[in-house]
Amino acid sequence: MPTLLEAPPHPAPPSPPAAPAQPAPGISEDWLALCIGLFIFVLSLGLLFGKDVLGWAVTTSVWTTPIKALAPASKGYAGLRPLVALAATYVFLLVVLSVAAKLLRADLKRFASGFTVVFALSYLCWFLGSWAYIAATPDKRQALKIPWSLNLTNESGFIIALLAGLVVGNFLPGVSRFLKEAIRPELYIKTAIVILGGFLGIAALEQRALATSVMFRGACAIIEAYLIYWPIVYFVSRRYFGFSREWAAPLASGISICGVSAAIATGSAIRARPVVPIMVSSLVVIFAVVELLFLPFVAQHFLYGQPLVAGAWMGLAVKTDGAAVASGAITDSLIRAKALAVSGVSYQAGWIMGVSTTVKVFIDIFIGVWAFILAWVWAAKIEPRAGEKVRAREIWQRFPKFILGYVVTFLLVLAIGAAAPRLVPKIKASMGQANVFRALFFVMTFFAIGVLSNFRKLWQEGIAKLAAVYVLCLFGYIIWVGLLISWLFFHGVLPPLVKG
Amino acid sequence: MTEPRLADELHKMETEYEPLLPIERKLIWYTFGTGVLLLAVLVLVSRAFM
Repeated sequence: MPTLLEAPPHPAPPSPPAAPAQPAPGISEDWLALCIGLFIFVLSLGLLFGKDVLGWAVTTSVWTTPIKALAPASKGYAGLRPLVALAATYVFLLVVLSVAAKLLRADLKRFASGFTVVFALSYLCWFLGSWAYIAATPDKRQALKIPWSLNLTNESGFIIALLAGLVVGNFLPGVSRFLKEAIRPELYIKTAIVILGGFLGIAALEQRALATSVMFRGACAIIEAYLIYWPIVYFVSRRYFGFSREWAAPLASGISICGVSAAIATGSAIRARPVVPIMVSSLVVIFAVVELLFLPFVAQHFLYGQPLVAGAWMGLAVKTDGAAVASGAITDSLIRAKALAVSGVSYQAGWIMGVSTTVKVFIDIFIGVWAFILAWVWAAKIEPRAGEKVRAREIWQRFPKFILGYVVTFLLVLAIGAAAPRLVPKIKASMGQANVFRALFFVMTFFAIGVLSNFRKLWQEGIAKLAAVYVLCLFGYIIWVGLLISWLFFHGVLPPLVKG
Repeated sequence: MTEPRLADELHKMETEYEPLLPIERKLIWYTFGTGVLLLAVLVLVSRAFM
């Protein structure tokens, strides 16, 4: 059974007897992501009390000389050797994630050895992506003494990590098997999103009216995506491709709403066999990777003048949490770089990614509601079964718990900053330190997504028809309607400019 | 019992086609219609108040 990109929001139906037995996890990855993210967030807030708890974490600057790239996050640890900071960061993450692995009842030894390689390869990709000739923006070239650069910013490290993961996943099956216990993209990206809430809280603190506007527009866009995407994809699957209801409903949810989670929630809601959402999920992951590789560059080329349209577009068009937020991050840096190069406009970092994340988070929130509605329609109208009731508590069961962490970090930063404005510089420094870990979780997510994306599945007999629906609906309808909706709600709304 | 093969599943769908039920058509077109209507309303609201 393939490892899914996103953990199901509630325990999946039992596997067929042929599947190998796995110990049931003691806690879900959703709750673990919430706990780990909050743990790192709280540690970073030590700065508010004069305790520099995370200042030893390693940061990576754009570099021409490799040895000068690494440094501790805080000046208070300036005496710490860069490689020691890197080692400390690795050990910290190993310990924290090993506790998580233990709670997930994973094989600890295999997790630790796998994670060591995942961290090393992911960090290497991040490091390579920070090489000045790849990453430097035009305004930095003179200071770095380089005549040219690809202007991709250091977030190109994410793409390098994704490509590295794809090579491992598709050409090195032995390595994939070795890394398996540590390939947990849903845990990594959800932890990153919890930490990201605090980082976006800082942005919202400084631009409250804009943040409120973004959240309202994001919510509007989501409602439309559910009501406009899903019915058309369902209709096309049923009417023109002849899929049964059992297949069409999870397929429509997977393609239109939120990939893996939505396909599984829908499959469960309509009592589909487990194989149905699993097959759909495999395709979702593969196509999300394809979108991740080209949509941010398309957005950069055509939408650098409308950055928040681009951000919303990523959230609406890319169909997994990991890939959507990751696309938002890449689009953020690509568009800022291009706007600076072409127009001399320097947008503040994080807003484009923030819009993508907000849109995706709202999509996630509504999965449970949509699954409940479908469960009711199926139970009451399409396949009624005597004595069966659809319970509203299933909305909570399917609610992605890590979003609570995102909301908590966002609101806490907002509340502390609003109540005590003199603490804002310290909060910024705290979030800067937490952001070091957010970036590391991001890059590990990219690598893990790559490892899990098995393009050989596309050659599996019979998958062509499923893939055809996906290609037609995603690239022929959803991406363009998503762009239209993003344009309608975000056109003319610009991120704030960098001060000074 | 072994896991069903996708090819077999798709072949089965071709031979045992399930036509769209009236309730499915209602679900599709009422949902889509509501979405288009709400889109117009929300665009106007966002432009008027934001």
